[in-house]
Amino acid sequence: MSPSAGSVLLKLDGLTKRFGAVTALDDVSLSIDAGEVHCLLGENGAGKSTLCNVVFGVHAPDAGQMHLEGRPFRPTGPADSLSAGVAMVHQHFSLVPTMTVVENLMLGRLDGVLKRRDFAARVRELGATYGLEVDPDRRVAELSVGERQRVEIIKCLIRDPRLLVLDEPTAVLPPEEVAALLAMCRRVAAAGRGVILVTHKLAEIARVADRTTVLRAGKVVESVTMKVADMRALVRAMVGRELVSIDRMVAVSLGMEAAGHAGPPPRPARPAPANVRTRRDDALMVDGVSYRDHGGALRLDRVTLIVKPGEIVGIAGVEGNGQSELAAIIAGLVCPTGGRIFVGGRELTRRSPGEVTAAGAGIIPEDRHAIGCIEEMTVAENLFLGALGRFTRFGLLRRRAMGEAAAALMHEFDVRGSGPGAPMKSLSGGNQQRAVLARELSLDPLVFLLAAQPTRGLDVGAVDAVYGRIFAARENGAGVLLISSELDELLAASDRIIVLYRGRIVGELPAEAGNREAIGSLMSGHAA
Amino acid sequence: MSAGATVTKGAAPAWAPPRTVVIPVLATLAALGVGVLLITATGTSVPDAIAGFWDGMVGSSFAIGASINRAVALALVGLGFILANRANLTNVGGEGQIAVGGIAATALALHGAAGLPRPLAVGVPLAAGAAAGALWGAVAGGLKVRRRTNEVISTLLLTFVGLLMVYWSVQSENLLRQPMTSAATLPESLELPAATKLPTVLRDPGSPLHIGAFIALAAALAVGLVLARSALGVRLRAVGLNELASRRAGIRDGRLVVLALTVAGALGGLAGAIMLQGELWILTSGFTSGYGFDGLVVGLLSRGSVVAVIAGALFFGFLRSGGLAMEITAGVPAAVVVLIQGLLVVTIAGTAILTDQGRPP
Repeated sequence: MSPSAGSVLLKLDGLTKRFGAVTALDDVSLSIDAGEVHCLLGENGAGKSTLCNVVFGVHAPDAGQMHLEGRPFRPTGPADSLSAGVAMVHQHFSLVPTMTVVENLMLGRLDGVLKRRDFAARVRELGATYGLEVDPDRRVAELSVGERQRVEIIKCLIRDPRLLVLDEPTAVLPPEEVAALLAMCRRVAAAGRGVILVTHKLAEIARVADRTTVLRAGKVVESVTMKVADMRALVRAMVGRELVSIDRMVAVSLGMEAAGHAGPPPRPARPAPANVRTRRDDALMVDGVSYRDHGGALRLDRVTLIVKPGEIVGIAGVEGNGQSELAAIIAGLVCPTGGRIFVGGRELTRRSPGEVTAAGAGIIPEDRHAIGCIEEMTVAENLFLGALGRFTRFGLLRRRAMGEAAAALMHEFDVRGSGPGAPMKSLSGGNQQRAVLARELSLDPLVFLLAAQPTRGLDVGAVDAVYGRIFAARENGAGVLLISSELDELLAASDRIIVLYRGRIVGELPAEAGNREAIGSLMSGHAA
Repeated sequence: MSAGATVTKGAAPAWAPPRTVVIPVLATLAALGVGVLLITATGTSVPDAIAGFWDGMVGSSFAIGASINRAVALALVGLGFILANRANLTNVGGEGQIAVGGIAATALALHGAAGLPRPLAVGVPLAAGAAAGALWGAVAGGLKVRRRTNEVISTLLLTFVGLLMVYWSVQSENLLRQPMTSAATLPESLELPAATKLPTVLRDPGSPLHIGAFIALAAALAVGLVLARSALGVRLRAVGLNELASRRAGIRDGRLVVLALTVAGALGGLAGAIMLQGELWILTSGFTSGYGFDGLVVGLLSRGSVVAVIAGALFFGFLRSGGLAMEITAGVPAAVVVLIQGLLVVTIAGTAILTDQGRPP
């Protein structure tokens, strides 16, 4: 029943979806053909995820119709959509970590006799067809983010869907896995299926899309086939302003240009020495730190590095090579099995996160949802969770004072939300990250800043703001350790780059565009 | 992006009475209806049983006072439960905490406290009871932080230890057993000295209502303030919602876990002391008689609301009194009384699920 390529697979007519006062989708009409990769482009909050969720039956539209292969399509829920041939990979995975890949895949299909071996064979077959190699017998907990995503995709493909919806799949992937994912999209489309790919990276669109639809504030502002697409026009459609005002970090984050190529003049190469507070000590010193996980695997092997006041040191490496462990150890969340940590000359080895903060270390954790903030609590509570004592009188919390302080901080850091009393989860990802920045950068004095994947999943405006703040912290004399899986971002932002491979430092190079190749090969384990 | 938006479905028509009222009322009636059927099946006269039940609850100033006294113990355990539950901890050890609180209060009242000036004679055993309960809670908290022992398991197992310690205390003459005068002497403690008994509140000599009610109200006020208005309440909630993010923000989560379980235990221990000094006056094996578990149910059903804990405690307190009277005056088997109570719990809990539909999870 493979539909002929080019025929209209899914047609949306005037879809409108409101959440309270917010119109998430406003009269959206578009069509997806069989055999095409249709990219949805837009900033956070533009309605991309809502559109996917309506197609997948999570939300019912308030107005408008959908037609799947010419027949009216009104899914009552995800199960309904799945049986109609629409499958979706969400931004957040839903896998059971303690179970194996096959067991996870069988979970949703507990009908009749379970044939584990047949399933494993099918998984291998799908893996080979679409380039989704995963060992079916490994436990999900042992898999990297990229591998988990492949399992999610296999979970969809195993149902032989006609339409595959991928909600920002590349946001969580290291660069070298992005290419494989995009290639997979092309193969799925080549098999006659439709693919909806949500992203905000232009470079990805250029590589994979047949057509691109740009959403802004819930409306379709542009829908073009890629043969005639003009990248600059797409950006203009997406952000609603001219490209001239978009700085270099943003351009890099959009994947529009590689770092170091011609572009707007780069930031001042070095902070003026007068700006740097005279400080004898290094902002951060990591001295021979090793870490063995509970399974006994050596995750960090005698890592030694120094971040001086007023410099940004980038940590490059393929995800899973010890960056997360290093960040957790510096943040005080994990005790190293060996070595010592100093911030501003104070030893912080085996100290609690509270003491790390007290030493003037700001921490932007890589996982905003799990560590950065508590989504069920208000913005004000999140901003001052570690400093509630400032607003306490006779043991009682002065909520008004806390709210005023939070409002001031939100204003200063441009955190947009309905107010300090709004739940954190009502904020967009970018505004959540701004709130985390507001909390971590308002330390006085800020000696050191750890920024782990600070722009992951953020839109253009937020990337701009995050790097603006990080640069400002550097100008004020803080040392910054920047961990990112985006090499171009590292090259553009850092002063020097240290490469981690299998828990060891395998090289250190100046952050110059000319070193891109060398860093890339160090990341993949080839000696430079 | 569906930023925080929620979908409301199934809104009731405007003319209908709110589901939150209709469903609980129907559920309670249904449970009582089944109760009536059960009573009929045991061969007891239903009107007699209902009359006994009513008399036991509100038939006299004695009945009302006794019912409220019962509610005090339930409320204290329930308050402790919701406090710890704010940090996502489930203290199921109320029964054991009551037990050790009762032992400590009895020990102090019989040995030492009685000679103290009146406020201390009452206060010291109460404090000792709370301290013993606190120790019981702290052990569970320490095990959780140090050894990652699930607090449900540790508090439950510590309950058995506490209950058996009561048994041991009243069996051994070296501990709290009254001096044996004949082979028929029951294994129980001496009666507490009058100076250590809780003062009653009303002039009416028929009313056993004691100052425990005020202690429970004060505890409710304190717990309510902590949960709603204090920094500690915010920290407890933060740890309950996301331990890792709380730790990163500088909250000492381990210390909070121990503190929360310690306070919950202290409230349980205080309940035990109040039971002994208020009405029982003699430590007997099995004196806890399920108050800890009923208090747990009160806490569970309240969903974190102090007012609901008070209401639930009163409900169960009156129910217990009524059930007891029904058993004595109308001869309804105790098992049936417990069964009806269980039915009520199930229907109330089920009600919560039904009235919750249409709300976001």
